[in-house]
Amino acid sequence: MIRDRLLRLARTENAGLVAILLIAVVALTVANPAFLTSFNLYVVLTSVSLWTCVALAQMTTLATGQMSLSVGSLGGLVAIVVGGLCELWGVPLPLAIIAGLAVGLAGGLLNGALIATSGINSFIITLATFSAFHGLTLGLTRAIPFYHMPDALKALGNARFGAVPFMLGIVLVVALAVHIIFTRTRIGRHMLAYGGNPTAAVLSGLSTKRAVIFAHALSGLLSAIAAILTVGRLQIAQPTIGEDWLIVSFAAPIIGGASLSGGHVSVPGTLLALALLAVINDALVLLGVDPFWVQVVLGCLILAVVGANRLREGRRLGEAVAR
Amino acid sequence: MTTLDATAPGRRGLPAWLTRPSVGLVVIIALMIAVFSITAPGFLSPFNTFAISRELSVAIVLGYAMMVVLGVGGMNLAVGSIGVCVAMATAGLQAAGVPVLVSVAGGLVCGAFLGGLNGVIVVRTGLSSFMITLATMSIYFGAMLLLSGAQAIRNLDPAFVAFGRARIAGTVPLMFLVAVAIAVALTYLYRATDIGRQMLFTGANPKAAELSGVPVVRAVILAHALSGLLAGVAAIMLTARTGAGVPSMAGQIGRDWLLPAFIAPVLGGSALAGGSVAIVGTFLGATLVAILGSGLRMVNIGDFWIELFLGIILLVAVLADRARSLWSSGDVGR
Repeated sequence: MIRDRLLRLARTENAGLVAILLIAVVALTVANPAFLTSFNLYVVLTSVSLWTCVALAQMTTLATGQMSLSVGSLGGLVAIVVGGLCELWGVPLPLAIIAGLAVGLAGGLLNGALIATSGINSFIITLATFSAFHGLTLGLTRAIPFYHMPDALKALGNARFGAVPFMLGIVLVVALAVHIIFTRTRIGRHMLAYGGNPTAAVLSGLSTKRAVIFAHALSGLLSAIAAILTVGRLQIAQPTIGEDWLIVSFAAPIIGGASLSGGHVSVPGTLLALALLAVINDALVLLGVDPFWVQVVLGCLILAVVGANRLREGRRLGEAVAR
Repeated sequence: MTTLDATAPGRRGLPAWLTRPSVGLVVIIALMIAVFSITAPGFLSPFNTFAISRELSVAIVLGYAMMVVLGVGGMNLAVGSIGVCVAMATAGLQAAGVPVLVSVAGGLVCGAFLGGLNGVIVVRTGLSSFMITLATMSIYFGAMLLLSGAQAIRNLDPAFVAFGRARIAGTVPLMFLVAVAIAVALTYLYRATDIGRQMLFTGANPKAAELSGVPVVRAVILAHALSGLLAGVAAIMLTARTGAGVPSMAGQIGRDWLLPAFIAPVLGGSALAGGSVAIVGTFLGATLVAILGSGLRMVNIGDFWIELFLGIILLVAVLADRARSLWSSGDVGR
């Protein structure tokens, strides 16, 4: 009976990731006990908190079988809007945050509306808006950061309870909301249905335009949250925020089980993937490995995971055919 | 004659030459030159024309590096990463005292190899080239940093740097002729050789191509290798121009090259879905971008706003193209 339960557990989707994560944590603890110090765990969890909304922002577009190259540059725009409102115009922080979220939502809506109404590939549309948002950020700031952020915003990014950063609470609530949208709501199922098979979704009478626009709007909102948290953490609103989001935004959802062709995403999987990436990054630091290895390891990890998924899918397909 | 298309649908109504993206591009480029030569004194000076065409040469070859993989229905996000690897390899060889031509050949072999490796992984795994090249752009860049120690290499061969500055008849950079030669060679490849046609058939419909005996695997691998080779040419030209091999020349993991690499072929009318390449269009697309950049700088709008303009132009171009193709296929009854 216990064996049955274990077997069932092993077959669940995220079992592989959980196992790899556990092995990595145990191995790292043995190799360097400093891993388990409160401060080090805080560093790892902070990294997970900062990246969660970045990854979720890409995950929502992947659900519909599309993508958004503009996740990072929209984040940069939100960061300087919030920073500029606080520093130049003395807008109260809550209002500045609401304005930042509104900019993120508007940018996402623009992407979604352009894609849904023109029918042009999301890659091209978001390549164009990526450039436009980034240009707007650089043009407005002349590449100079805003240095004087309100104390409350700095506290948001740096408050901690022992090893747990305050931000982790925020992103877990956000992640839960996204999880509920995809598992329990009609629009969530519509997004996944459209991603899984656009033709079938159209034929069964779903409003596919609404699904696409909603996915991109949600993505924009999530990049805005990620940007605001990053400003809080860095304590300055840098125009370069978001420039390094591209790879991780794709890597985490894909490692977490999302498929690039749409129709399937996993919030828990994405969170586990981010935890794994953070632990690997931490391991390279703790073990004194050349930091340049980070790029190589990240790339190899993506290749390994997409390759393994491919093998698994192939086998499942093979079984289905054999039956 | 500019767009080579394996699946060209017969458009009715307008004469064929009018519905081509290239015509629109030529008109826009002519308008921009007219506006800038009035508003920015010195825009057409020999010095500025030389500067624009040097910039342009790199942009054209970079656009071709993306165009050839778009032709087989793939993409190559690693163009920037491969470019930096080639630049550092070439510069490293020169610093070690290797003759210029050998160092350039070594760099190009490195580029073709890294590109070909992308192609091999793509066909072996059957995964999308987007995901594969997203991973390899990180791997190649990391490997380059490990090997070079992230240090710029400045002691290049004087002959190599002279190539970057060489000009013909006062205004035409030597490297512009290289870009033109590559355009001619690509036209020959796609119009007159079997492998060129096979690449386009593969891009248009891989299954049909495979069933009709096209060596699809070879076509995809060759297209990716060619992409790596061309990214290498662009990087070598840029290195000769700046006079140093710089690890950050294409930004972190080479991402600064992504937009210029995609914008030229897409403006030029290459379909993202594969099956067609716009050789003259890509040339014109890169020209438009270079002239816009130079002009905006000269009228003091500054570097910072250029990306906004590029984004808007790209958006308008693809939307206009979409509207035109819907309109011209309207009478077919869709």
